Amino acid sequence: MTIKNYDELSSLELDTLKEIGSIGTGNAANSLSSLIGKTVRIQQPEVRIMGYNEAIEWIGGPEEITAGVLVKMSGQISGIMLSVQQLNFVNLVLESMLGRGVENYFGLHEMESSALVEVGNIMISTFINALSSLASIDIELTVPAFTVDMQGAIMTVPMAEYGGQSDYIMTIGGNFICNGKEIPCRLLLSPDIRSLNFLLRKLGVSSGE
Amino acid sequence: MESKITVGIADMKMAKGSGMLITYALGSCIGICLYDKQIKLGALIHIMLPVNGEAGRKNTMKYANTGIRETLHQMVAKGASKSRITAKIAGGAKMFETGGGSLGNIGQRNIESVKMTLKAEGIQLLKEDVGGSTARTLLFDVGTGLGCVRSYGKPELII
Repeated sequence: MTIKNYDELSSLELDTLKEIGSIGTGNAANSLSSLIGKTVRIQQPEVRIMGYNEAIEWIGGPEEITAGVLVKMSGQISGIMLSVQQLNFVNLVLESMLGRGVENYFGLHEMESSALVEVGNIMISTFINALSSLASIDIELTVPAFTVDMQGAIMTVPMAEYGGQSDYIMTIGGNFICNGKEIPCRLLLSPDIRSLNFLLRKLGVSSGE
Repeated sequence: MESKITVGIADMKMAKGSGMLITYALGSCIGICLYDKQIKLGALIHIMLPVNGEAGRKNTMKYANTGIRETLHQMVAKGASKSRITAKIAGGAKMFETGGGSLGNIGQRNIESVKMTLKAEGIQLLKEDVGGSTARTLLFDVGTGLGCVRSYGKPELII
């Protein structure tokens, strides 16, 4: 059945998306691991269908400053993929790659920012590559965009983009665990409704047109 | 100062006499303060999209045009006079610089739609802090009619 809203997904469909999240995040964790030279594991990834106000309530609340890397998907799937990086993730990356961390986001200069963009972009690309070979679909990615700002406003970017279609947002993603510590870094895949239907059909879990 | 009343996304709250309304992390969204100074009735709307083009959409506060109209209606029902109501707005930023595409233009479209709707309703726009690339948290003091914009890495701005 073709769904019109994210909250119409069946449990089989949700499980399939969770599996995609698991494979995608797993691949992203591997690439992160080789970038920073540390073992990175993933938490059980989650698929969440959230109301707007629920989605912006993440660790620290909507005003918490975070770094965000955004890539837009086009081709057979359109949507947005976001890497939302909180300060301990930022420092994990910077200490491993540049040998020094930052005390706060004001310490992010060009060098630090481009390291974060690269890491975000590589994780997103590995995630998308895994997805596109799994479902044999073509997905094109834009050049990554970067910002440091309130996480509530970063999270509303996909919502505003697809807000005309739904009062909910679907996000697939999870946190990382490095050196036994949970590192909050969300990789969020937000396809639009049409692409979600297409993806589920490609994966054979949607019962017909 | 008394406790704050939080306005969510696609939401509107009203207060009379006194009270602090707040809405967090406006990105491309816009916060609209509507105020009748004489009776100290104020409303804060957090809209996300420019125009409600779909039939049967129940969430009026999600859109600039229906959000403003519905709020004016409710304010008048509470004793406000439409000719006295003034507006202050903040938001409409472009959070990410992406090449091409509709992404990022939403903020700009929101600004235009808000201004157009206010004009069509004959509401005077007193102050604005819109556009740019930074997120804003907007506070609205119903006791004084003053707004306060909080952004990352910038001093607070009174509107």
